[in-house]
Amino acid sequence: MARILAIAEHKNGKLTDGTLELCKAAKTIASELGLEPAAAVLGKDDSIAKEVAKYIPLVFSVSDAALENYTSDGYTQGVKAVVESQDVKGVLVAHSYDGVDYAAKVAMAINAGIVSNCNKARVDGGAVVFTRNTYNGKIQEEKKVNTDKFVATFEKGAYDMEPAGSPGTVTAVSAKIGAVRTTFKGLIETMAGAVDISQAKIIVSGGRGCKDADKYKEFIVTLAKKLGGEFGASRPVVDSGWTEPARQVGQSGKTVSPDLYIAAGISGAIQHIAGMKGAKCIVAINKDPEAPIFNIATYGIVGDLFEVIPAILANL
Amino acid sequence: MKIAVCLKQVPDMESKFKIVEDKKIDESQIAFKINDFDNYAVEAALQLKEKLGGEVIIVTCGPDRASKDMRQAFAMGADWGIHVNDPAVESGDNFVVASVLQKAIESIGDVELVMTGVQAEDDQAAVTGVMLADLMGWPHCTNVKKLEINDKTLTVNRELEGGFNEVLEMSSPAVLTIQSGINEPRYPTLPGIMKAKKKRLDVKKATDLGVSAKPKTDFIKMFFPVSEHKAEIIQGDPATAAAMLIQKLKTEAKVI
Repeated sequence: MARILAIAEHKNGKLTDGTLELCKAAKTIASELGLEPAAAVLGKDDSIAKEVAKYIPLVFSVSDAALENYTSDGYTQGVKAVVESQDVKGVLVAHSYDGVDYAAKVAMAINAGIVSNCNKARVDGGAVVFTRNTYNGKIQEEKKVNTDKFVATFEKGAYDMEPAGSPGTVTAVSAKIGAVRTTFKGLIETMAGAVDISQAKIIVSGGRGCKDADKYKEFIVTLAKKLGGEFGASRPVVDSGWTEPARQVGQSGKTVSPDLYIAAGISGAIQHIAGMKGAKCIVAINKDPEAPIFNIATYGIVGDLFEVIPAILANL
Repeated sequence: MKIAVCLKQVPDMESKFKIVEDKKIDESQIAFKINDFDNYAVEAALQLKEKLGGEVIIVTCGPDRASKDMRQAFAMGADWGIHVNDPAVESGDNFVVASVLQKAIESIGDVELVMTGVQAEDDQAAVTGVMLADLMGWPHCTNVKKLEINDKTLTVNRELEGGFNEVLEMSSPAVLTIQSGINEPRYPTLPGIMKAKKKRLDVKKATDLGVSAKPKTDFIKMFFPVSEHKAEIIQGDPATAAAMLIQKLKTEAKVI
């Protein structure tokens, strides 16, 4: 029986949450297609493969010293070896930093179409139809491949995490890992020694809508201080240098879960939401009633943050 | 060093979008601009040119309107460009675009580095740069936050989750997809804008470049997302809404 293959992602010997979501995705999609779900684990040995087998009945393990650290060349060759030897119809990859780095290369290597950044999949007439975010999350689209095999990347949270069950089998797949043209030199922690906002009970974050560094300070920082909380930011604010990188909330920055998170002038890109959706109460202030931030907020005010924040301050 | 920058023109994401027949957006009310991530790629290329000499060539797939933003990159300091203006490419997918970019870049000759944004703000696919590298037979790095070049050796920082960067080394020629925040893109100067008008802009069709790639994916439809959880929108002028919000935060949510 042909297979739907989830590619496990692991860092420092630990599986990512996204891997468990992909196991769930592989099981769901395989069941709708009448195919078999499986996972592939690439690493220097098969220790992680045994861990993944708790979540999916069949695991292919590719072990090679060249796979100790992630590289796009190493991963592409490893996945290709599994796809070609194990009757794989579809490859599922996390839309993570690593996933974005190699998924399209896998698609090229196995001559498959790729649909990336998906949040849903359904089966229609034997084909998998993927739903994905476009236009900054304002519009969604449906796409499918017209090739025999497919590759899809799924954004974080697209599926629930698969719970652990009875252990499946681990099968070794041999792969010759040839040329790897990028050399891993090390990891840098860019926020080391800086402020840690992740423990704050109240966070007020500003986004692109703050317009400039002075206004960010005048409105966002002032409100945060008045509420006895910390100030945070979405990516464009940090990119523009209006505040320090350690205050960035989102996929590439901090993950926070305060009691109160106020997002002002933040549209709500998925990368930002990934870092703050665990907040108990979310308040969104935005001029654009269509901004995706209103889809996850508890309370929303559609308005100009430069008028709304002073009005809030007047009530405190 | 000859550097090609792949640039896409995209809608301003703050536009009010309207969908026509479940298929496309109504462009009549939309302002277009350089894809933000590509703007950082242009700046990164210009900084390298200033340090090492050479040329920065803009390569764009898009309709007539895209030439405006190629000229914008010229005004920033890019030297010339290739505009592939072809409905067959517009109706294709990322694979078709990557195939066109490959041939366009090969037609320039002696390009040692290709830079582009990590993704386009409109399709949010983040696959074209990686496909292009594969078609060129070159190594790549995505989400580049820092770049140093020493002769043929590139040392790059690749952004990862949670504030980490991975440092890696590779040899040129290579493809780098640039993450926002790597630099501060410059604004065009008035003399830059004047010079841009006279810079060389070659317009081509896919067939001129010998590209016959077919899409590997099919678009089905587009629609506005239906949220399962809409915020409770607090109505009224700012003063009324703010007072109501504070009351709710105190008595309902009990978070302040």
